[in-house]
Amino acid sequence: MANEELIYRLTKAVYSRLGAAASEQTVEQLVTELFREVEPFLGTNGSSYSSLQSIPSSGGFVSQSQEGSSDRMIISVFGVDHPGIVAGVAQILAEAECSIVDINQTVVQGKFAMVIIVNTSRARESATELKERLRREGEKLGVRIYAQREDLFNAMHRI
Amino acid sequence: MEYSQAEILQTVAMTEMEHLDVRTVTLGLSLRDCATASIAETAERATEKIHRFADRLVETVDQIGDEYGIRVANKRIAITPVSMITEAASGDPVELARAIDEAAGAVGVDFIGGYSALVHKGATDSEREFLNSIPEALSTTRRLCSSVNVATTRAGINMDAVRQVGIIIKEAAERTSNEGGIACAKFVCFANSVEDNPFMAGAFHGVGEPEAVINVGVSGPGVVNYAIRHAALDLPLQELAEIIKKLSFKLSRAGELVGREAARRLGIPFGIIDLSLAPTPVPGDSVANIIEAMGFERAGTHGTTAALALLTDAVKKGGAMASGSVGGMSGAFIPVSEDAGMIEAVRLGALSLDKLEAWTSVCSVGIDMVAVPGSTSAETISAIIADEMAIGVMNNKTTAVRIIPVPGREVGDMVEFGGLLGSAPIMAVNLFSSADFIRRGGRIPAPIHSLRN
Repeated sequence: MANEELIYRLTKAVYSRLGAAASEQTVEQLVTELFREVEPFLGTNGSSYSSLQSIPSSGGFVSQSQEGSSDRMIISVFGVDHPGIVAGVAQILAEAECSIVDINQTVVQGKFAMVIIVNTSRARESATELKERLRREGEKLGVRIYAQREDLFNAMHRI
Repeated sequence: MEYSQAEILQTVAMTEMEHLDVRTVTLGLSLRDCATASIAETAERATEKIHRFADRLVETVDQIGDEYGIRVANKRIAITPVSMITEAASGDPVELARAIDEAAGAVGVDFIGGYSALVHKGATDSEREFLNSIPEALSTTRRLCSSVNVATTRAGINMDAVRQVGIIIKEAAERTSNEGGIACAKFVCFANSVEDNPFMAGAFHGVGEPEAVINVGVSGPGVVNYAIRHAALDLPLQELAEIIKKLSFKLSRAGELVGREAARRLGIPFGIIDLSLAPTPVPGDSVANIIEAMGFERAGTHGTTAALALLTDAVKKGGAMASGSVGGMSGAFIPVSEDAGMIEAVRLGALSLDKLEAWTSVCSVGIDMVAVPGSTSAETISAIIADEMAIGVMNNKTTAVRIIPVPGREVGDMVEFGGLLGSAPIMAVNLFSSADFIRRGGRIPAPIHSLRN
């Protein structure tokens, strides 16, 4: 998967240097050579993908991606209060190597509500895996746990 | 904390409880470079290209949806109108239809749109043949959607095409009579069709579009419904419009984020975001319920056209503020079979076909997913289309007709299409004939306000 994306980006870069008039053969040759040079340095699919993700994209997206970080997630927990909810959630985050940036917890009339902002840049698992673990923990604790990337909240609530 | 608890709660409530979803991420794909002199070879090239661009589409989009906690309900592909890539080819275009349908199945998308022709001023010989192939193409494929543009404000209404479309719809229904005429649910007829529409059945990749593009359709009638139901009963209408506008803003921002992220990861340019309140059969996710929440006993009664006008306009304004890339239809959809509130309104006799037609002058598209008795003649269907096209042409807006004459069914029956398409009550049509008008054929000239140069 990641290799296809890399090849696409290489092709784009070569074309932008040589102009659209460049012969297809030349471009193909250049891209193949470049790829062969780079290939040994690519790790597993996963790691090469995450390094590719750091390549800045062009166009209008930049202004949006700067606000709200894609490395952060907002975890919200709701349910009936009882001891051990914070500990249970924090345990999972610790195991996943997510650091807590901000945390806010209240109990109103026995209803538990907690919002945690975590930094996932060093996380060992993907967002999907983390969410799944949190969901299972939520079932165990009898609360609902949602995890969503932070830039969503930024897009919806900040201009 | 950077966000207040109320803000976080609102987003969580929208995504988890009020059915805010990205209705569709649609990959627009040009197949113009696949045209050859033989249908078989064109089909081969089209299949290869669909795989090349869309193999990762579903997986990537699902992953993004998971990260944001926003469900992306559908992943779709819109292709160059097929009539354009078969123009010089010998062979049966249905063969290409089947190949495209198969490719769509293989990459895992739920619909592929673009078995289409643009004949608003006239049809070429090849286009006329192509139109005749639509019923067979739709009845022998599962994911393929077809559309025909028969009118524009600049060109007027091609009444020969309108007449032919009536016949196509009847034939498509007959060919799928054991499934309630479901082929017709995958066919739509347009005035002023949109080149970057991400929604089905009318999506196709317009001739002015780039090689490939990611377009996004966002929805969320449930969110708007919830907010209006919880607003004070004596809240003046302009303030109701403000609430809708602000919610639309947030919905659009969320949708654009998902769309741009998908575009970035797929390495395909981002096109447009289409914020259209599109209902689903899920309770509460209904445009009819929004209208009712504004102060009506049932959708379809007097005053509901005004309410729908307010809703559509507020949605457009919120969307336009939120994104520089608003396109497509952007407004509110009123597909009867997909909206539990509308089905109920029809059953109670509150909503008629005539009122639906009136609504289409202020909503974003047109008469959508309406089932009528199987005995309805092709001419009557053409006449319903002609009315709808006239509303679009004269008001400089997109209008469409997706109508299903269900074989063997009569007014009052229900027909089940299953899944997203829902179930439809058979609605009454006017029983007086329009046949002589339709048989005249020709063209209804473009309106005076088409002369804008």
